[in-house]
Amino acid sequence: MAAMELWQVGALFVSIAVAGTIATRVGLSVIPLYVVVGMLVGPNVLGRYASEFAVPSGDIVTILAEIGIVLLLFFLGLEFSLDRLLEARRRITGVGLLDLGVNFPVGVGLGLLFGWSLLESALLGGIVYISSSAVITKSLIDLGWIANSESEPMLGTLVFEDLFIAIYLAVVAALVGGSGGLETALTDVAVAVAFLGVLLAGVWFGGPLFERLFDADSSELFVLRVLAVAVFVAGIALAIGVSEAVAAFFVGMGFSSTDHVERIERLLTPVRDIFAAVFFFYIGLGTDPLLVATTVGILAIAVVATTPTKIVSGFFSGRIYGLDDRRSLRVGFGMVTRGEFSLIIATVAATGNGPVMTQVIPAFAVGYVLVMSILGTVLMQYSEVFEGVLQRRRSETTS
Amino acid sequence: MTVYESDLPGVGKKFEVELNDGSQLVIVIHNTGKRELFLRESPDADSEKLFELSDRLSRQVGTIMEGAYFQPIRTETIDTVLSDDTLIEWVKLTVDSPLVGKTLAESQVRQRVGVSVVAVQRGDETVSNPGADFAVEEGDTLVVIGGQDACREFQEYATAESATDE
Repeated sequence: MAAMELWQVGALFVSIAVAGTIATRVGLSVIPLYVVVGMLVGPNVLGRYASEFAVPSGDIVTILAEIGIVLLLFFLGLEFSLDRLLEARRRITGVGLLDLGVNFPVGVGLGLLFGWSLLESALLGGIVYISSSAVITKSLIDLGWIANSESEPMLGTLVFEDLFIAIYLAVVAALVGGSGGLETALTDVAVAVAFLGVLLAGVWFGGPLFERLFDADSSELFVLRVLAVAVFVAGIALAIGVSEAVAAFFVGMGFSSTDHVERIERLLTPVRDIFAAVFFFYIGLGTDPLLVATTVGILAIAVVATTPTKIVSGFFSGRIYGLDDRRSLRVGFGMVTRGEFSLIIATVAATGNGPVMTQVIPAFAVGYVLVMSILGTVLMQYSEVFEGVLQRRRSETTS
Repeated sequence: MTVYESDLPGVGKKFEVELNDGSQLVIVIHNTGKRELFLRESPDADSEKLFELSDRLSRQVGTIMEGAYFQPIRTETIDTVLSDDTLIEWVKLTVDSPLVGKTLAESQVRQRVGVSVVAVQRGDETVSNPGADFAVEEGDTLVVIGGQDACREFQEYATAESATDE
C-alpha cells in the first residue's frame, strides 16, 4: 500500500467532484460515475501510462472508504424502525419474500452454472438480489413518483432487503473470512452472532442511555459523538472478524428509537455522502477495466437473466399493494437498479480466497452495478413509453 | 376531509388530503425538513408537483394558512387543533364581554368553563402566561387552551354571544 500525499487526496476529491457534476448534468445517478472516475484515475488506467499522476489506492483511501460503508449502513439502521416494520409487516413481508424468492435463487443458480462453489454462488445471489436503496430513493424523488402509490411497494421492498442484507452480510462475512473447515466456519458465525446479540441487547435496552448520552447542545459535539460511537463499534466488530457494516447497521438501529434521528439526518447526511462517494471511488481504484472485460460473458448473462426477474417480481409486488398494471410495471422498472450493497458484498468477497472471490466477483460486481444502475435509471425515466405499449396491448386484448 | 398518512422509509412522511372536487393534495415531508406539494387530479392520475418549500418557509406559510395573521371569516375566533378534543383558541373580547375590566382571578375562567388562558394579545404586545391578577381590557385577544366544548362555551361567554342568541 502506497503512502499518499496531500495533493493525491486532493486529486481524489477533485475527481469525485468532477464525476458528480457530470452525472448531475447528464441526469445519471452519481454512483456509477464515481466508480468509473476511480477506475480512470487509479493505478489500473492512468497508472499504466503516467504512474506519477495516478491516485494510489493507499491506506488512507481504504480507511475513508470503510467509514463510507459504516455510514451507509448506519443510516440504513437509523431509518429502520422495528415499529414501522411491524405496522406494515404483512405487505412488506409479502413483497419482500416475493423479491427474495425470485431474485436470489436466480443469482445462486447462475453461479452454479458458471461452475462456482456454493459460497461463491451465494455471494453472486446477494449481488444480483439487492437493489440500490440510495439510487432508487433518489430517482423516486427526482421523478416525483414519491407522491404516487407506486413508491410504497418500492420502499417497502427496500426495507425488507435492507434487513435481509444485514443478516446476510453477517453470515457471509463470517463464512468468507473463515480459514476453511466447517468447524472454524461455525465458530466464526457463532462469534458474529454473539457480538451482534450484544449489540442488539444494546439497541433494545440502550434507548434511554443513547437519548441522554447524545443530548449535546453543540452540533459539533453531537456529530463527533455519533461518528465516534458508529466508527468505534464498527471498528471493534471488524477487528474480531464481524462485518463492520452489520455492526454499524445495529448502531443505527440503536438511534432509530431516540429523538435524535432528525438531528442526525440533518447534520450527518453530508458527512455520509462524502465518505460514501470515497467508497465508490475506492471501488473504482481497485478495479482493472481489463479484468472487467474478461467477465463480460458472465456479465451479459447476468444482466439478461436478472433484469426481467426484477421487473416481474416488482410487477407482482405492485399487485400485492393493489396497484394497476401501469403502476405495477413502474415498480418493476424501479427495482432494477443495483448499487451500493452489491459493491459492499463484492468487498466482502475480495477478502476471501481463490481467483473467483478475489478477482472475478469484484470485477463482475463493478461491471454489473454500472450496467444495472444506468439501465434502471433509464427504464424509470422512459417508463411512460413502456406503459403506453402495455396499455395498448391491454386494450387490444380486451376489445 | 380525510387525510391519509403514510411512512416513506428513508425519505420521510406522505400526507394525502382529499379535496372537495375529487382531487388530492399530496404533501411529502422529507426528513431533511423540505416539503414538496403535489396535486393529483384524480385517484388514478400521476401526482403533479406544484412547488417545494424549506422547513422554515413552510412553517411561515402554514401559520398564514391557519389564519393566525389574518382570518377573514370570523375575526374573533381562530382555533388550532392539538388533538382530537383539545384546541387552542383565540378569542377577541367585545365591549359588552363580562370579562372586561376584571382580573383573570375575578372572572374565574378556569373554574367556570374549564379553559386556561395561556396568553393575552393586546395590540402589538403579547403577554404570555398572564398571572391571576392580570386585568383584561376591551379589544384584548385571549389565547385559551381547553376541550372543544369548553372552548366554545368560553367563546360564547367572553363575547357575550349567548345573550344575543337567547
